[in-house]
Amino acid sequence: MKRKRRNVAIIGSGMSKFSSHREEVNQPEMIHEAVVEALDDAHLTMADVDCVLHGNMELFEMVHQPDMWHVIGDGAWGKSGVRLTTGGTTGITLACAADNIVASGLHDLVLAIGFEKLQEGHTTGGITNMADPLWGRGLQTGALTGTTAQKVIDEFGEDRAKLAAIKLRTIMDENAMRNPKAHRRLHLDREHLKDYADTDLRLVGELRMLHMCSQSDGACAVLFASEDKVDQLNANPAWVVDHVTVHREETMIFSAEMSTHRAAAKRLFERNGITDPRKQIDVFEMYDPSAWWGLDWLSDFLLLEGDEHLKMVENDEVGIDGEMPINPSGGVMASNPIGATALVRVAEAAMQVRGAAGDHQVPKPVKLALASGFGGTLWTILMLLSKDKPQSGATTHG
Amino acid sequence: MGDDKKTEQELIVSRQVLSIPQRFSTGPVMGRFLRELRDNKRIMANRCPQCGRHQLPPREVCALCRVEATEWDELGPEGTVRDFDVVFYASPDPLSGETRKTPYVACWADLDGTQGDAPLWHLLDAPDPSKVRPGLRIRAVFADQRKGSMEDIKHFEIIDEPSRREHGDRTGPSEPRP
Repeated sequence: MKRKRRNVAIIGSGMSKFSSHREEVNQPEMIHEAVVEALDDAHLTMADVDCVLHGNMELFEMVHQPDMWHVIGDGAWGKSGVRLTTGGTTGITLACAADNIVASGLHDLVLAIGFEKLQEGHTTGGITNMADPLWGRGLQTGALTGTTAQKVIDEFGEDRAKLAAIKLRTIMDENAMRNPKAHRRLHLDREHLKDYADTDLRLVGELRMLHMCSQSDGACAVLFASEDKVDQLNANPAWVVDHVTVHREETMIFSAEMSTHRAAAKRLFERNGITDPRKQIDVFEMYDPSAWWGLDWLSDFLLLEGDEHLKMVENDEVGIDGEMPINPSGGVMASNPIGATALVRVAEAAMQVRGAAGDHQVPKPVKLALASGFGGTLWTILMLLSKDKPQSGATTHG
Repeated sequence: MGDDKKTEQELIVSRQVLSIPQRFSTGPVMGRFLRELRDNKRIMANRCPQCGRHQLPPREVCALCRVEATEWDELGPEGTVRDFDVVFYASPDPLSGETRKTPYVACWADLDGTQGDAPLWHLLDAPDPSKVRPGLRIRAVFADQRKGSMEDIKHFEIIDEPSRREHGDRTGPSEPRP
């Protein structure tokens, strides 16, 4: 296993307000909100930033080079920069790239920006056009599928499965109610779980409107610094321990034999000495596009067996004050500006480590936090952050 | 005068509609698959010479073994439902812009003869979507006018009650049927 040349830490983050309609600002203005907040968080100005990474999914807004338009909002004029676009994982790919660039010694301070203004394009149309143009486009309905709901129902019984999925959704809403940046804050009530599960509008099979993530406008900005910079600035760091990317073929088979989530988790945990993820990891910001996927993927990401993931929801383990809090931010079901979404997972995990999450800070001490990204057609990125500085350089991306 | 305008922000939204004619080259492998659909109403998969798995629709190489998939087999046209989606959300068909009639059913079909993990994704004509289950026996229905596209398979149709084959058994041909 190769080692990083030097340690890297997140020292600041910012987000715009997430909403279905940010019509009062254009794209550069919306991004500006996130950049200013990140710089303020780290007590820096753009003069301190060496390199700006910029990402979204251009199929949504259909703007060819948004990074050029946005220079006036993100302060990248005259700076080094890269534009990245990897679908749903774009945001966390930006974080991986920022880590790699700083670890390599190329730059000391990198600003990663993810954004999406879904209201300005057609979300389902954009996602559908990611399907193989020769055979998939006539069938795909964006990211909507009921196959996972059917699988969980077949395995654990209809009543138990439906109740667990809607309870997870409701816990996410309880968290979103604590997060002033969250888009959907619905005041869901645990008294009405069965009503929600049975009567909410059906999209596909047992995937209902409440289960599904939102379409949001929003931007996120995160500052990555070298170890020397962290010391020099006396910053409050969340150290990047490691990150893993696992791809699969470009096929949309939800029940395929290989889970990229499980494969990524195994690789990440093995090379970082994590033998009991539920005990060792203090908080997990998951890219959970729907309550059914969030429920099912808990099992893959935490390497669980049988019905352990359902029990974690049933026993309130995943709540903000539980043993394994999932998405104290409210997650993707609450806010989903897609090109920013996976960077928001990293930012939120870092905020938990840095003790900077405000009203949605988990009450227990956070030493180790996990963030995930997901892209259709089915691939996974995981990033591990820690309070303690990794010893003699963390492992490299492999 | 002008005070009212100062206090209220004017929100102008620039509305634009893109309509983009596209032409995608199929390459020889997908080209053969589409030609067989159009000319012979046959569903052809290619097979990895190393691991033996089918690829449907066919792809140039086996991504797992990193070798060219050179062997070809006809699969189906009968098979079983592995997964399915009953779609209530009236999303526009991205190829035509038309809004689809709902509910409709899409399925992942394990065609008879398939080796490995290669279900074909297509529409299923199900008069009663609530009766669709994994394991349901289905058959491809071909379009009368075929033009070398996935739509040359019009949809799958149900041919009998759910079979006794276990969900997940997707190797080997089906039992002879009465």
